[in-house]
Amino acid sequence: MAARGSPLQDLITRFLPWIGAGVVLGILPALLPSYMQSIWTKFLIFAIFATSFDLIYGHAGLLSLGHAAFFGAGGYAVGVLMLHTGITSFWVGLPLGILVAVAIAVLFGFISLRVSGMYFLLVTFALAQLLYSVAWNWLWINSPGMQGIAGIPLPDLGIPSLEWNTIYFYYFVLIFFCICFYLVYRIMNSPFGYALRGIRESEIRMQALGYNTWLYKFIIFVVTGAFAGLAGVLFAYFNRLISPVYLGVGTSFLPMCMVIIGGSGTRIGPVIGAMVIIFVEYFSSLFTPERWPLILGGAFVVAIMYARGGIVIYLSRFWKQIGYRHGSIEG
Amino acid sequence: MEALRVDSLSKDFGGVHALSSVSFSVGTGQRLVVIGPNGAGKTTLFNVINGQLSPTSGRVFFFEQDITNMPTHQRAHLGQARSFQIVSLFLNLTVLDNALIALHGTKPSRFQMFWPMNGYRNLMDEARKNLDAAMLWEKRDEIVKNLSHGEQRRLEIALSLAQNPKLLLLDEPSSGLTRDESSEVIGLIKNLGSKITVLIVDHDMNLVFGVADRIIVLHYGQVIADGTPEVIRDDPRVREIYMGMEECIDHVGVG
Repeated sequence: MAARGSPLQDLITRFLPWIGAGVVLGILPALLPSYMQSIWTKFLIFAIFATSFDLIYGHAGLLSLGHAAFFGAGGYAVGVLMLHTGITSFWVGLPLGILVAVAIAVLFGFISLRVSGMYFLLVTFALAQLLYSVAWNWLWINSPGMQGIAGIPLPDLGIPSLEWNTIYFYYFVLIFFCICFYLVYRIMNSPFGYALRGIRESEIRMQALGYNTWLYKFIIFVVTGAFAGLAGVLFAYFNRLISPVYLGVGTSFLPMCMVIIGGSGTRIGPVIGAMVIIFVEYFSSLFTPERWPLILGGAFVVAIMYARGGIVIYLSRFWKQIGYRHGSIEG
Repeated sequence: MEALRVDSLSKDFGGVHALSSVSFSVGTGQRLVVIGPNGAGKTTLFNVINGQLSPTSGRVFFFEQDITNMPTHQRAHLGQARSFQIVSLFLNLTVLDNALIALHGTKPSRFQMFWPMNGYRNLMDEARKNLDAAMLWEKRDEIVKNLSHGEQRRLEIALSLAQNPKLLLLDEPSSGLTRDESSEVIGLIKNLGSKITVLIVDHDMNLVFGVADRIIVLHYGQVIADGTPEVIRDDPRVREIYMGMEECIDHVGVG
């Protein structure tokens, strides 16, 4: 309903959450110890990953269980580049990582988008597992004597005087997070974004209206592949190590959990979900690391049974109630 | 001029002949109503004309162009629009978003990924006209699943009209409606301009005889009668098939 109240109050209820988020993301981590800054960095990387997954799941309604393929491919591109050429320049690694992820998304999209529903889930799962086993067995893309690539240095930005530390890297990731968040926001509100939700709601009607629905699904599959690839590139630099695990089903499951727990088809749902999962993972690793899968699985089941719309629904209800109380939102 | 011609169209589902050798043509501006008992192949006929199904044999021509193997979305760009028997709307979006999606469908802007959908001033004006005609502009911010069944039916038609079609296919536009709601739909169909050719499938005899220029009767996938409403009313074979409906046909005036 229409917001009345004074313009100032209106402005506050509309923008306060954004200012709050800006303060939390922009200032708070700088005041924390460096190991916590790392956790915040990881959270942002996974927020990009989850946001990309939400574009295809929450908006287009396609449930993929192979999203890690693009994430891992981005990471592997950076790792292999370092391993075989010694190039650590970010300006080579980033485009290469995204390009590899996009190429794989094009290939996988052609194969998996021939089917829909449960079959789409199974095909994407199978394709990602295929990539996992390639990474496991192909010695050329592994460091000698191990499965995976170790010793990936922080990216070389070509700025001579720059000495990386955890907070710089955090802000570096934050820039990419903001860019991705903004781009996804623009896509969501564009005719293309609405078309995706139209396809989710009624594909047959979209075709009758003149939309080539296959092409839409294919394009968004590739676009989300690019975002996931970017997240993978950042993750490889962050983690210093990339291994087949980051192509497998365990990693594909994470953004799915984050999106469902946070709230699918919403702007901040995937970000909130990523925050919850990454921080709970951190705290559980302090006290009882071996029980983390149990906690993750439990949280997922609870979210599906009792909080279908995700945490965001409760947050927005809470925020609106505050609005009512101060009389700035009416009706 | 012929808007649509179907030429010995057949469609088999396994051993079931849903359509067998159906041929007819529709002139521009005509209101053709297809009737027939349940399972006569009416919806199958629509699905073949609009491209959701491809025929086992036979051809479909749209303004002289052979469209038999053309995908549905391309037929929309040529000027075909349809509504569905089972409401197929974007239930979790608002009425206005539904209309805007429909309006973008045949425009190049449908692939645009950066600028907001509701920023197109001219399309917003069109959406307003479109929803006004369906008496839904006041409800533009409602989520579609909260609308009444009658309003959803009107939105179904409004979405197909948003495409500015040359041929409109309405699959049971009055199904599940009360008498009042049904007459609103009849009014909506009657107000369509003479440039639009309309093909309707329906069971509601008020609607059938209220809007039809011509009626085709399908029975087990075959055309058994084709003519003006008067001719169809008096056709003995039609009366035989429609034993239960005989009284209905007798009780409605030809209009």
